[in-house]
Amino acid sequence: MLEIKDLHVCVEEDGTEILKGVNLTINKGEIHAIMGPNGSGKSTLSKAVAGHEAYEVTQGDILFEGESILELEPEERAHLGVFLAFQYPVEVPGVTNKTLLRQAYNTIAREQGREELDPLQFEDYAKDKLDLIDMKEEFLDRSINAGFSGGEKKRNEIFQMAVLNPKLSFLDETDSGLDIDALKTVANGINQIADEDKAVCLVTHYQRILDYVTPDHVHVMIDGKIAKSGDKDLAVKLEEQGYDWLTDVASVSVNGEQ
Amino acid sequence: MAKVKQQTEQTFLQDLLDFQGSLNGKSEFLDEVRLKGAEEVRNTPFPTKKLEDWKFISLRDLYRDSYELASNLEVDFPDFSEHFLPESKESRLVFINGSFSAEHSSTKALPEEVVIGNIANLAAEGNEQLKEHLHKHADFEDDVFTSFNSAFLEDGAFIYVPKDVTVEAPVHLLFIQTDADKNYFTTSRTVVVADEDSEITLVEDHIGLGDNKYFNLPVVELNLEDRSFVKHTKIQRDSFEAIHIARTAASVAQHANYESYTITRGAKLSRNEPRIFQMDEEVEFTVDGLVLIDGDQVSDTHSVMDHRFSHAESHQLHKCVINGKAHSVFNGKIYVQKDAQKIDSFQENRNLLLSRKGLVNTKPQLEIFADDVVCTHGATVGQLEEDELFYLKSRGLDEQQARELLIYAFALETIENITVDSVQELLVDEVHRYTERQLDSELTV
Amino acid sequence: MSESEALESMVGGEYKYGFTTDVEYEDFPTGINEEIIREISRRKDEPEWVTEFRLEAFEKWKEMEEPDWPNVEYDRPDFDNIQYYSSTKKKDGKKKPESLDDVDPEILETYEKLGIPLEEQKQLQGIAVDAVFDSESIFTTFKEKLAEAGVIFCSISEAIQDHPELVKQYMGSVVPKGDNFYAALNSAVFSDGSFVYVPEDTVCPMELSTYFRINNMQSGQFERTLIICEDNSQVSYLEGCTAPMYQENQLHAAVVELVALEDAEIKYSTIQNWYSGDEEGNGGIFNFVTKRGHCRGDNSKISWTQVETGSAITWKYPSVILQGDNSTGEFYSVAVTNQRQQADTGTKMIHVGKNTKSTIISKGISAGESNNSYRGLVKISPRADGAQNYSVCDSMLIGQTCGAHTFPYIESANPTAKVEHEASTSRVGEEQIFYLQQRGMDEDDAISMIVNGFAKEVLQKLPMEFAVEADKLLGIKLEGSVG
Repeated sequence: MLEIKDLHVCVEEDGTEILKGVNLTINKGEIHAIMGPNGSGKSTLSKAVAGHEAYEVTQGDILFEGESILELEPEERAHLGVFLAFQYPVEVPGVTNKTLLRQAYNTIAREQGREELDPLQFEDYAKDKLDLIDMKEEFLDRSINAGFSGGEKKRNEIFQMAVLNPKLSFLDETDSGLDIDALKTVANGINQIADEDKAVCLVTHYQRILDYVTPDHVHVMIDGKIAKSGDKDLAVKLEEQGYDWLTDVASVSVNGEQ
Repeated sequence: MAKVKQQTEQTFLQDLLDFQGSLNGKSEFLDEVRLKGAEEVRNTPFPTKKLEDWKFISLRDLYRDSYELASNLEVDFPDFSEHFLPESKESRLVFINGSFSAEHSSTKALPEEVVIGNIANLAAEGNEQLKEHLHKHADFEDDVFTSFNSAFLEDGAFIYVPKDVTVEAPVHLLFIQTDADKNYFTTSRTVVVADEDSEITLVEDHIGLGDNKYFNLPVVELNLEDRSFVKHTKIQRDSFEAIHIARTAASVAQHANYESYTITRGAKLSRNEPRIFQMDEEVEFTVDGLVLIDGDQVSDTHSVMDHRFSHAESHQLHKCVINGKAHSVFNGKIYVQKDAQKIDSFQENRNLLLSRKGLVNTKPQLEIFADDVVCTHGATVGQLEEDELFYLKSRGLDEQQARELLIYAFALETIENITVDSVQELLVDEVHRYTERQLDSELTV
Repeated sequence: MSESEALESMVGGEYKYGFTTDVEYEDFPTGINEEIIREISRRKDEPEWVTEFRLEAFEKWKEMEEPDWPNVEYDRPDFDNIQYYSSTKKKDGKKKPESLDDVDPEILETYEKLGIPLEEQKQLQGIAVDAVFDSESIFTTFKEKLAEAGVIFCSISEAIQDHPELVKQYMGSVVPKGDNFYAALNSAVFSDGSFVYVPEDTVCPMELSTYFRINNMQSGQFERTLIICEDNSQVSYLEGCTAPMYQENQLHAAVVELVALEDAEIKYSTIQNWYSGDEEGNGGIFNFVTKRGHCRGDNSKISWTQVETGSAITWKYPSVILQGDNSTGEFYSVAVTNQRQQADTGTKMIHVGKNTKSTIISKGISAGESNNSYRGLVKISPRADGAQNYSVCDSMLIGQTCGAHTFPYIESANPTAKVEHEASTSRVGEEQIFYLQQRGMDEDDAISMIVNGFAKEVLQKLPMEFAVEADKLLGIKLEGSVG
């Protein structure tokens, strides 16, 4: 579904290189977890996949269902079925969740040749999804993220993901800042959405969400590269031993190349 | 009618300019500043209500009388040492009716490298620092009052704090205006330069000893170089018959911080014009004010916060308590120039209008030409909250006590950040005296 | 045509009202002098007192100077080169059309194109429309139905003929002849406009609406609207405005007077979409308008809602004089400027009566190289005990070359009054746009959505059918404004 090849990404403003050759393949039906210390490039990777203009791809490619998406605008990527749950969901005062999601849903449906929903149909559809994240109906009529608590914002991201039903979801630190109950709700939402036709990539700092969402693959990102990949046991090892042992491996291999 | 008025201004001016020539001859440098100032005065009209910036107050009270040059008067005055600040025993400059009083001044507590003194002496000595900075930072284009101050510039305070020097003791600039038989005018100039990484605290203190009429026109120029920090408290306690028109200009360079608090209690008519100019990126400034007026006092504050570069944080809290027939005016301009991004500017004017005959005009003003900024302003006019009064009364306070306490609490917010303890104490007393005075029915109407 | 389609075409689209209608005009000289004013009066068959009203206003105007305090820059109109009366030639030499058959088909077609069909079978349901073309009212729909309820809705010229006592009593009573430079000019040369009278204890059974169209390149438009609500009556009125695209500026100097008596309520909404000039700032309407409401009776209420998207220059302050005790004034405004547009708009709330209340919500949006100013006055007079005002003025800037200005004047002379004003400036953030794009919206839709969210409090105050369309209009106005 997603194939990232030797991806190099710079910050547009000052040219700092953050991703230094990432290779990653995600197949449908899979759940991946990308872990790594702060500043290793995890968030940049998800933003680059979503098409944030502050990041410039200087080398490599991102293929979605076999086609390069590098030239596509963020909304065109969304139309194809790429979803990003933001680490810091943005507030848009005065615009309700319902307005945004109905317009977004119908735009994507139109682009994908599916049927659009009228306001009443949409409301019914959206209400079903609310249960996934254990939220009340009035959630639909609140302004997007405005005045939401941190936990509500994260749940809203999962709710939006459920409504828009994307093929590939990048969840950028969706678990951070959540208490244990909220974490379970969010994880439960993810589990219910994920099926054999979709793929989910959890970008996270901590192993704790992986107790509730079991990944098929775990990758460790260090200094703009995937330093190691493995199965869920890798996450456990990271939890116990930290990243230092990998940092050494990475630097050794770099030295080795020299 | 208009013609008559104009004639009055002309007479007022001509009378004053007559004194001007008598000042020359002691310092060539000052002569030049004065001559240029006098020339500007002749070419600049005095403001009238027709001008947007002067529409709310009348200067008739200023124009209708004639004034003597203060330094020409022979005056007696009582002991005023009660006004000395304990923290500034040896960091004090005193000016009596605009002229330096060496006997009351002392600067022993200041580090040797600091240049501090009165302008007349420093000019006579040919001090280079003075020449470099005097009249360089008062950026008041076409302002007749600044020109007027220049035209009569005789004396005032000059302070230069060199690089890396922190002046620990607060410097008390005490301007004493004495009682006199005749109306007089006085034009002090204060110039403060804080070089890189320096720090200084100033207390500019205007006190009228009598209840006579005089015209006090001080101009203060401040220049803050990179990473310097200047705290500036101005207390205006001129006589209740006086006219006080002041200009304060501060230029703030990179990473510098200018913090100012202006307290207005005296004068029949006062006008403050603080103007803060951002000279580089990454600066901070505060321009807070507290106005306590009653009787027939008029107080007008016109401030400018000019954000010219990116990354500035500015703060203005201006509070006024108005009683009797007093009239308070506030116009705070916040400019954010093109390309000055990431500005965080806060402005609030809160007015407590206590009497039927009092009047409040307020006009907070935002002019923004950059899109990535957070600017907010607010203004409120109201009286004491009934439920707060009720709450205090239910705790056993009588009406007067409850009112006093609430006025006191309202005023306190603007002075609690002043770091000189004795200044805070004297202001607390001042607030108390003001609230107590409100018992006097003649003042409160 | 359904109502919403009609309204959509009324406000929607990039400026698609820029066409001209080819009609024949009666000859009328340009310029202004006493003789011209008498001639306007003569052609309109006005009674002597109206001619006098005009001449007195003209005398005042001659003594006045064009004000220079607004935060706008423009070349002063050449008052000698404006045609102050513009009337299309009528069939059979009739003074005014008695039925639609007498109206020039070109003009009927124009209104059809604008989405305001006048023919009976196509008329908008539930909305009575007065169609004003240049200086004259062309036709008013649903007149008879309104008359059944006792409501008079007609052009002011007709009202002068048919209801002189009402016009005489109220015209100039809220905006005096010499109130300001452009009000005086209007009082001297006013052409046409709408007249509404709602009798006691009557709720006007339908929305009233006037559609203003400037067509003649040389003529100014000086319409005059007068709305009177007697005790315990209510009306909701909406005006819409468009004009062709000309390289020159046209002057639009209107006067609107509202009078609300005891317990009466007037809601006045404007969707102003005059031609705003091209990208270089050539052409467009000078919209210099005096609008004022007078809450004359106790417990009365006047509410102004405006969506200002058009005009090269907008300069207007719909105001309320709150004289009756417990009366209420409201001002809800969205002003959008783009390209080289300039707007200096706001309100005045003059509190005179006891326990009067006013609310001001102003949302200014600047883009392109435009300048958008809010200017407002809240004045509490000494005897307005218990008066309350609450104002919020928010500005949004889009891009680096526009300006937002806030000039709120507050004057309070009563210690029992409470005035609160707050203002803020914000921006359309890149992260906001990216967030919405990630959810599938393109950039223009994202901006439109953010701006509509920003203006929501005001848009909600519009009659529902118009709100949807005003929404779209904002989006269209700002299309492509973020690079």
